[in-house]
Amino acid sequence: MKINRAMPGTHNRMGMQILLLLLIITFCVFPFYWMVTTSLKTQLLALKSPPVWLFEPTFQNYTEVLTKDGVAKTLINSLIVAVSTTMLAITLGCPAAYALARFEFRGKRDLWFWFITNRMVSPIVLALPFFLIVRKIGLLDTHLVLILIYLTFNLPIVIWICTDQFRSVPFELNEAAMLEGASPFRIFRSICLPLAMPGVAVSAIFSFIFSWNELMYALVLTRNSAKTAPAMAVSFMEGYNLPYGKIMATSTLIVIPVIIFSLIASKQLVRGLTMGAVK
Amino acid sequence: MKLSASLHSVAAAAAIWCLGTTTASAWTLEEAAKPYAGTTVDVVFLLRPGYEAAEAMLPEFENATGIKVNIIKHPYENALGEQVRDFVAGGDLDIALIDLVWIGNFAENDWIEPISKFTSNPDLADPELDIDDFFPLVLNAFGGWNDEVYGLPFDNYSGLLFYNECMLKDAGFDGPPETWSDLKDKYGPALTKDGKYAYALQSKRNETQSADSFARVLWPFGGSFLDENFKSNLMSAESQAGLKFRQDLMQYMPEGIVSYDHAEAVNALAQGDIALLTEWSAFYSTLKSPDTSQIVDCLKIAPEPTGPAGRKPALGGFSMAVAKQADDKEQAAAWLFIQWVTSKANAMEYLERGGVPARQSVYQEPGVAEKYDFVPALVESWQDGVPEFRPRFAEWPEITEIVQEWGTKIMLGEVSTEEGAQELGSRMEAVLEKAGYYDGKKPLAQ
Amino acid sequence: MSAVSVKRSTLIGFLGPSIFALLAIGIVPLLYAVWTSLHYFNLTKLKNVEFIGIENYATVLTDSVFWQAMGRTFTLLGIALPIQIALGLGIALLLHQPGLSFLKTLTRLSLVLPMATTYAVVGLLGQVMFNIKYGVINQLLGFVGIEPVNWIGDPTNAFALIIFWDIWQWTPFVALVLLAGLTTVPAEIEEAAKLETKRWYTVLRYVQLPFLIPGLTAVLILRTADTLKLFDMVFTLTRGGPGASTELISLMIQRVGFRAFDQGLASAQAIILLIITIILSQLYIRLLYKEVG
Repeated sequence: MKINRAMPGTHNRMGMQILLLLLIITFCVFPFYWMVTTSLKTQLLALKSPPVWLFEPTFQNYTEVLTKDGVAKTLINSLIVAVSTTMLAITLGCPAAYALARFEFRGKRDLWFWFITNRMVSPIVLALPFFLIVRKIGLLDTHLVLILIYLTFNLPIVIWICTDQFRSVPFELNEAAMLEGASPFRIFRSICLPLAMPGVAVSAIFSFIFSWNELMYALVLTRNSAKTAPAMAVSFMEGYNLPYGKIMATSTLIVIPVIIFSLIASKQLVRGLTMGAVK
Repeated sequence: MKLSASLHSVAAAAAIWCLGTTTASAWTLEEAAKPYAGTTVDVVFLLRPGYEAAEAMLPEFENATGIKVNIIKHPYENALGEQVRDFVAGGDLDIALIDLVWIGNFAENDWIEPISKFTSNPDLADPELDIDDFFPLVLNAFGGWNDEVYGLPFDNYSGLLFYNECMLKDAGFDGPPETWSDLKDKYGPALTKDGKYAYALQSKRNETQSADSFARVLWPFGGSFLDENFKSNLMSAESQAGLKFRQDLMQYMPEGIVSYDHAEAVNALAQGDIALLTEWSAFYSTLKSPDTSQIVDCLKIAPEPTGPAGRKPALGGFSMAVAKQADDKEQAAAWLFIQWVTSKANAMEYLERGGVPARQSVYQEPGVAEKYDFVPALVESWQDGVPEFRPRFAEWPEITEIVQEWGTKIMLGEVSTEEGAQELGSRMEAVLEKAGYYDGKKPLAQ
Repeated sequence: MSAVSVKRSTLIGFLGPSIFALLAIGIVPLLYAVWTSLHYFNLTKLKNVEFIGIENYATVLTDSVFWQAMGRTFTLLGIALPIQIALGLGIALLLHQPGLSFLKTLTRLSLVLPMATTYAVVGLLGQVMFNIKYGVINQLLGFVGIEPVNWIGDPTNAFALIIFWDIWQWTPFVALVLLAGLTTVPAEIEEAAKLETKRWYTVLRYVQLPFLIPGLTAVLILRTADTLKLFDMVFTLTRGGPGASTELISLMIQRVGFRAFDQGLASAQAIILLIITIILSQLYIRLLYKEVG
């Protein structure tokens, strides 16, 4: 009897779980579904009221934004900037993170705090002075400017995540290597860095996503030749017409690469999100 | 013999002389552009019909001159910021695209050259330029500042009343409202029913709020932004009457009108959701095309309604001026492009491709008024517009932000028209004070 | 303590490049911003730049519009963050339960989508989906008999809309962080606790929570900072309107600095924002991280 009564309860709980999970999935995925379908509609169809769910898809918006409006070039710009700044952030950040994790020195905590604080600074604080300085040295509208300014939020992320990662590498390995007379840099390069790779990968993924998605600096510091994809998407927002299809096609083109990238990397991503749990 | 010989030589000389003048007067674009072939001219374009028209015409110019025109497209809302940053940075724009409210700013910052620099140069000036052919109001308002002409009118607007004749007929009206009060008291109640609305006033919080919504109700009622001493005139009975009128009129507009930009308003008319719309002339092509409009056959156009103070329709538009930061070659090439694209000879093609030229001659051509039914209303509007519909001085970018913020707050009922106008006025005066208008440092020019 | 002392040159070798980079890119512009904030500095009136001391700061501190924008920003944080943590915790606990592994993997993958989406695109999507007429949301609401809601054109609704998208984008992030935290709980401890009590919240409070604290701290810090920075999504969705109902602090500073071109005033606003940000993150890091360590 007891078992019989418990069984439907478990079933219900299972059913409840399935329902909740499906709800979560729908909640997360539906906007994407809508974005992609809208991008396949003609202008007249996109502005139909009430919205149409079944229709004959057209790729006209994609061909138009890619060939006529130059979205392809901005995607390449975004790629160049995001990859370069990520590599730079890793190259600079890993040794610093290692030092914060392994070396003893005065003011360590304050230094760590200062690094992290850079992540908190609103881009609006730096955008204009940076613009004024950059115009003086003639670097406006170049990839380099974005690569450098994106370090202000990528470097802290790399340092934050990697410091924790280096701390979790067994210290005995360091001691053994030191006894053999290895230099600090060799220990870092050959022993600790390979072991900290998961953390490095996660911070690289984050750097890439943040840089790929950034808008404010891109709006202020680029105009034409270095314009990134998000800045491009925004520039369709002329109050004169609502090219919903084109806007959504551009949006899809921007979002798809980073989505694929993060789905592939989602295992590392979720692991990396322990955020200093390993202390 | 001697006589005939000398006659001959006179004839020959005359012939040569004639030939000489013919070559000199046969100014051609190709000839003028020769030294500048290969030069690239950078210019900002908007995503609007007039620019698409010019872009379509561009190959003709590039083939004739060898000058390359590099178009950088921006939405209107970013266009000022982009250009200001470019000029401040000594960037690479060779042409300034100037909304009439930016002209004071660009001129006072010395970012642009007066056209006299080029019109006085016979190598560059097209003898057919005929500057007086531009509507005087338009040339003066869009391109002129302090008695100096800087830009030639390129993308030109006047506010017009677009209306859905079928809806009006169904409600028993023979024609559009003549006055604003008719619009509100007669057309409003009769046309607002069954989920349809009589009218829409695009009022989104950007330049649309200042230009298309706020200023539009000030002037016809006799109000204005500033009085002759440059103090706020928003508390005057006339200005208040206009602002109150807008509040009353809102009951006949679709819900959420404060989030309507041009696109939403035009689309509401195009979909048959509203019957009347005051909009820029530039939307004619959108409303007349079956691709974007369902009311092609019902669409009719009239001048904007009149108020107690007259018609005073919305006035807006862009001129192009040569940028000071360009080098000599770029300046010359830029001038040739501006002169060409706004020329009398090209006005018809520009019109046919969806642009609205500011050349008087083109509208007198036979058949134009019949083919483009906005023309009579447009020409009429450009006769009695107000150049300072929005003040054109350098402080406008700051002031428009204030108008946008408080203008929408008034519409939303967050503040009363008096409170809003009071706040708006004092903030506006603070900007003008800082600029030095009140201590005599600056002439009161708008 | 698992750390060693090293030679100064080694230290510089490891830390120098990062410190130099952030100094050059971060601090130099910041100093320039401080200089600007002490001047009347209008981009369209660079001929009239003049030193005016702390006048800009005085203007900011007494400007109700500035503090209203600040208030809205914290209201957003105060409403969205608790919901994100509650929902995120719920999702994390759900995913942490055994069984249904395929569906759960699928859920985990879909959770990655919102947080990777370009923020500006989120706003554009919001415009398309929540449009009063063409929007799919009003259509869906119509199916259950709800009248069309004026999402973007009504001040209160527009603010709610911002909150909604913030929750959409960042609840998955919170969920994944907390899920990662839950997986760090040693399995045997969790099993033992579950044998001892049937109540899930007792397990949560006494067994799992300590392992969630670092993640929660990170969420708190990152979400606070990101809300103070929030610009892209609101810019593309409402541009701060209608009226000023969604004008958050970054939008306001952007408007003053890049649309009214008063860079001096905007710099003063930005620096006050920076000070608030630093104080808050100091508080968080010092208070919360100490507790952990």
